[in-house]
Order: sequence, then C-alpha cells, then structure tokens
Amino acid sequence: MRIALYVTCLIDLMRPSAGFAALRLLELTGADVHVPEGQTCCGQPAWSAGNRPLAINLAKKAVAELEAYDAVVIPSGSCADHLRHRYPELLKDDHAWSARAASVAARCHELSDFLVNVLPLPEVPGTFDGSVTYHDSCKGLRQLGIKTQPRALLARVQGLSLREMPDCEACCGFGGAFSVRFDAISTRIVDDKCDTILATGADAIVGGDLGCLLNIEGRLRRRGDTETRVLHFAEVLAGGSGS
Amino acid sequence: MYFKASAGLKLNNPVLQAALKKAQPLFTAKRRKGMASLAADGLDFETTRAAAAAIRQRVLDDLEHWLKTFEQKALATGAEVLWARDGAEVSRLVVELAQRHGVRTVTKSKSMLSEEAGLNAALSAAGIRPVETDLGEYIVQLAKEPPSHIIAPAVHKTIGEVDSLFAEAHGRPPQSRTSADIPLLAKEARQVLRAQFLAADMGISGANFLIAETGSAALMTNEGNGRMVTTLPRIHVVVTGIEKIVPTLADFATLMRLLPRSATGQDISNYVSLLTGVRREGDDEGPEKTVFILVDNGRANLLGGPFEAMLRCIRCGACMNHCPVYFALGGHAYGWVYPGPMGSVLTPLFSGIEQALDLPHASTGCNQCGSVCPVGIPLPDLMHGLREVQNARGLLAPGERRALALWGWIAARPRWYRWMTRLAARYLSWLAGDAQRIEVFGLLPEWTAGRDLPMRSRKTFQEQYAARKRD
Repeated sequence: MRIALYVTCLIDLMRPSAGFAALRLLELTGADVHVPEGQTCCGQPAWSAGNRPLAINLAKKAVAELEAYDAVVIPSGSCADHLRHRYPELLKDDHAWSARAASVAARCHELSDFLVNVLPLPEVPGTFDGSVTYHDSCKGLRQLGIKTQPRALLARVQGLSLREMPDCEACCGFGGAFSVRFDAISTRIVDDKCDTILATGADAIVGGDLGCLLNIEGRLRRRGDTETRVLHFAEVLAGGSGS
Repeated sequence: MYFKASAGLKLNNPVLQAALKKAQPLFTAKRRKGMASLAADGLDFETTRAAAAAIRQRVLDDLEHWLKTFEQKALATGAEVLWARDGAEVSRLVVELAQRHGVRTVTKSKSMLSEEAGLNAALSAAGIRPVETDLGEYIVQLAKEPPSHIIAPAVHKTIGEVDSLFAEAHGRPPQSRTSADIPLLAKEARQVLRAQFLAADMGISGANFLIAETGSAALMTNEGNGRMVTTLPRIHVVVTGIEKIVPTLADFATLMRLLPRSATGQDISNYVSLLTGVRREGDDEGPEKTVFILVDNGRANLLGGPFEAMLRCIRCGACMNHCPVYFALGGHAYGWVYPGPMGSVLTPLFSGIEQALDLPHASTGCNQCGSVCPVGIPLPDLMHGLREVQNARGLLAPGERRALALWGWIAARPRWYRWMTRLAARYLSWLAGDAQRIEVFGLLPEWTAGRDLPMRSRKTFQEQYAARKRD
C-alpha cells in the first residue's frame, strides 16, 4: 500500500516531532510511506474565512498531489475533515475536478483512525511513565467520529494510564482564526479547559490536533504551569525524542 | 455596540461570569437527562430528529399553503388573523387593537417575537402598560434589560441582583439571598403578578407552534403564567412568526418529544396549552376575542435560499446551551434579540449582513450546537455561508483580505512556501529562546495576549525530512 503522509502546515512549522512520530508509526504498519514534497496547507484557513475561490485553488493543488496514493493519512482531525468532507463539496460543480476530489477524499484518513481501522498498528514502540488525559478535538470527534481510536492506541502504551476528564469533548476555544479574531473569548474558553485538565492531575494532556494543543499549551504556560506536558498522541505512541 | 467591544465588557464582568459559570453545567445536564428519558421511551435521537426536521421542512416547502390552511381553520373557530410584514407593523397592529378596545394593562407571556418588534416600548409609548409575567422576563423587565437567553431570560442575573430588583420594585428592604430562596422570590413575584393578571384587559403570548389542521396555537410553559395570560383577559393576542406552523396535531406530538427535552430536559413542560378560537357559550373561561398576528420580519426572504434551514428552528435554546462562546459572554453581547449560534445566523439575516459582521465568525466551528439541534439545523454551515457572503460582497476588513490573499499566493507555490516556512521557523524559535515559547509576538499580538506560543523546533518538518532523505 502506497501511503501519503499529509503532515499539515501547523505540524510542519510548529511541531515537526509530531510529523516524524506519525511517519514512524505508519512505517511500522509495513506500508510504503511517502511525504509528498509539494504539500503546503490544505486550505482550511481560506475556507474558514469564507474565501471560497482561494479554498478551491488550494483544494485542487492538494488533490493533484495526493491522487497517486492508495491512502492519505493526516495527523489532524480538523485537516482530515477538510479533505474528506470539504474538498468534494468545494469541487462538486467542477466537472474536471469533482470525481478526482471525491476519490481522494474517500482515501483520506485521520491518523488514529487509520492505525485502528485501516492498517492496524502492529506494535507500539512508545512508553510513558505516568498518566495522561485526552482532549477530543471538535472536528475529529463530531465530523469524523474519532473517539475510541486514539484511546485504544494509547491503552497499548506501556506504563501509560488514562485519566479521563469531565467535558473532554468540550471545545478548547481554538477555532483557527477565531483564536486571534476573538482572542479574549478564546482565552476565556481555554481557561475552562485548562482547569479540567489540571483537575485530573494527569502528567500530560494528549490530543490529535496541533491547533488545540498549541492553544492549550500556550495557556497552561501563561498560567505558570510548566509541568504538564502537552503532546500529540503520535508522539506518545512513537516514543523517542518526541515524548 | 459591536460584538467584539461588547464581548470585552462581558468577559470583564465578574458577576456575569459567575452567573454563567454556574448555569452552563446545569443546562447541559438537563439536556442529558432529557436525552436519557428519550432513550428510556425507546426513541432514538437521530431518528426522532430526522422526523422532526422532516416535519419542519415539509412546512417550509409549501409555507403559503400551510398558512392559508391555518388561517381558514382559525377564522372558523372565531379567531381573527392579521399579518405583519415587520416588527413596526406588529407594534402598530397591537397598539391599535389595544386602543380600540380601551386596553390599559397588558399581561405578557414570553414572546421573543415581541422582542423583535420592540413591542413593550411601543405599548408604553402609547400609554399602555405591558407586564411581563414569565418570572425571568419579569426580572429583566424590572432591570430594563432585554432577555439574554431565549428560554431563560434572566440567566445572566445572580440571586443577589434579583433580590435588589424586587426590593426596589416591591418597596421592601433588600435581603441577603441564596439559591435556596428562589421559591420565596418566585412567590413574591407571583403575589405581585396576581393582581396584574386580574386587572389586564389584554394578554399577549407567543406560540411554540401553530397547528394548521385545527387553527390552534400550542403554548408550552412551566410557570402557569401562560395559561393566565391567554385565558383571563378579554382579548388574547398571539404574536408569532409565519414559520411556526406545523401541519397536524400528530406532527406537534413528534416535535413535543424533542422540544422540552432539548430545552429543559423535561419529558413534557409543566403546562401544554392548545389554544383554539374564542370563549364559547358555556365555557368557564377564555378570551372573548382571539387575534393571531403572523409575522414575516425577514423570514419569507429565507425560503428556498441557502439559509432556509434556519427557519426549521423551534427555539429550544439547546444551541446556545452547548455553545462555548455563548457561555463566555452571555446573550447580551450578541446585540439583538437572539443570542448564541442561532442568533449568529438570524441576526445578520434579519437585521442585515452589514449590521452584524462579527457574528458569523463568533464560532470556533466546534459544532456542539449542530450536534444537539433537535431539528438538525447545520448551524456552523450556515454561519460559514454568511462568511462566504461577506467575502463575495467584499465586506471583510482590507487588511485581513490582503493577508489571506498573500498567504494563499504563497501556499499555492510550494517552493516559496518552503522558504517562507524555513525563515519563519528560525525566526520563531529565535524569539522563543531556551524556554521554547514566545511570550510577546509582535506579528500576531492577539495570540500572545492571553497565551504563550510554544515553539520547539528551529527547522520545519519538510526541511528535516529532506535532509534525512539525503543522508
């Protein structure tokens, strides 16, 4: 199986370790994993701002880059939702592109879902000495049904115990441009999230979307918490320098 | 005041924040209980809401037919039916009616449409006294504020604030109160309102639904005030939107399975009234005159368009009860009658897209609203649609438009993008230093106003990956 790892722009720039962790996990499945060189951003920020022409432009670019692969794996529920659900919608009226977009979309998978339901991860190299709590990011949870997959994978990490928090499904307040457009509201929302995280006493908060993780980590640090680790689940699963 | 400025004030109001923090878990717990009772009745939420959405959509597909059916039936029961194009017309019709019949006091049961119309102000200006009788509405009327929630109008008020308002209005000294005293305060309001119920010449209510096959208004309340407003005065005026029609009583029953459960978690509200026609011979109670005022106020414009789904709304409030933005701010920040996600869609549609540019963006896109909506309104998609309209009409701030265009230009060119991100990674990690986080970021000061920006790597993934492949 020829797989494309779609790194996402946030991981590429802000947290390459999560990208390398995803790469390692995918290689463990025995698949032939590639990182398409031309990838930049899926275009969700343009879509979210309401700029349809720009979102369409970037959707076509990604479709062309990804259609040669049997599967596209994305370590982000938010970006995976954009490729899976928005690309076909954005390109549905374009005869040259609609079938191509639908075909690529159907082959796009969020990382944890892929490692549980498509090509099961044979072994989990990472170990973790302590407890983690898991934040369900909105798009992954509500648009893609990502809930049990990351937990099932984390349960296989030696030494790790999961301490669920109440309201683990509540939004962290990131919301892409929302976090800067309405920074004060965003901060107020993520404060609630930080409170529930800290109340679990977990050593780390783990999630599957870097946007949410940057928001949560940024607020925890600003509040003076330098202890709680903030990790992408891929980093925990892959072990090594990331976790 | 613009949403963002208003939001700032709300975030810095500790009394309001305390009230909201207390209310949020109660609201979500209530709906959870409601959904558990739905399941206990052997009903699946997804199936029931698909049925509810289909009923509402069937009405919208042929609204004119259902309105005509309703009108015929209502007329046959002895009621009158009037039509209002907008809020001003509602106010004019009600004031004229009141003046024609020598009405001096009007009791009101909760009606968000009367808020759309600014009806209380119009009545007062005409020398007619409107008295809100829903406890929450009574409180906000005393406070001279609009409701901040469509089913819990005074949710933004603490018990202390309510006591002060009552003390002043009822001429008694203020007392220190806890939530255990809520029944006492409710009793106090009830005693004051009792006299008003008996004195009123006209009762004004909304309607949760209009039943086309019987010409009735369906009214669901919890306090019993709705019954008194609609049966004691000689004249009963129902003010409601044209979209509130449901074809049959059976359809109403289907919607009833979801409305109270979504709103307050109740299997059924304490009072459910089906108000049909006028007092007949031999009836013990009921108005001599019943007038329906069916209001457009922007609704018909939405039919058949990209925002039509919003007209399915049955005003349960579940969207705002599950909205992180609503519970950060309360309802007043939204600036018009309807708050929360439904307000972020309705306000620009009803008052003009240009009038509420912030609202369609006031969402993290989390879709907690859409996932609880009992009639399956895709609220985030509708907010998104409004953003696209803003873009198409060139309504976004020029700076924002330019920044997005520049970013888009670069993102479409992988070589440029790689170089820009390489530079960015170095710059950001230099700013972050040993602590691996940026505390003040001049290029995006909004991010670091309340948060640090974590940055752990000097090189992008792509750069490191390319180096690895070369080795």
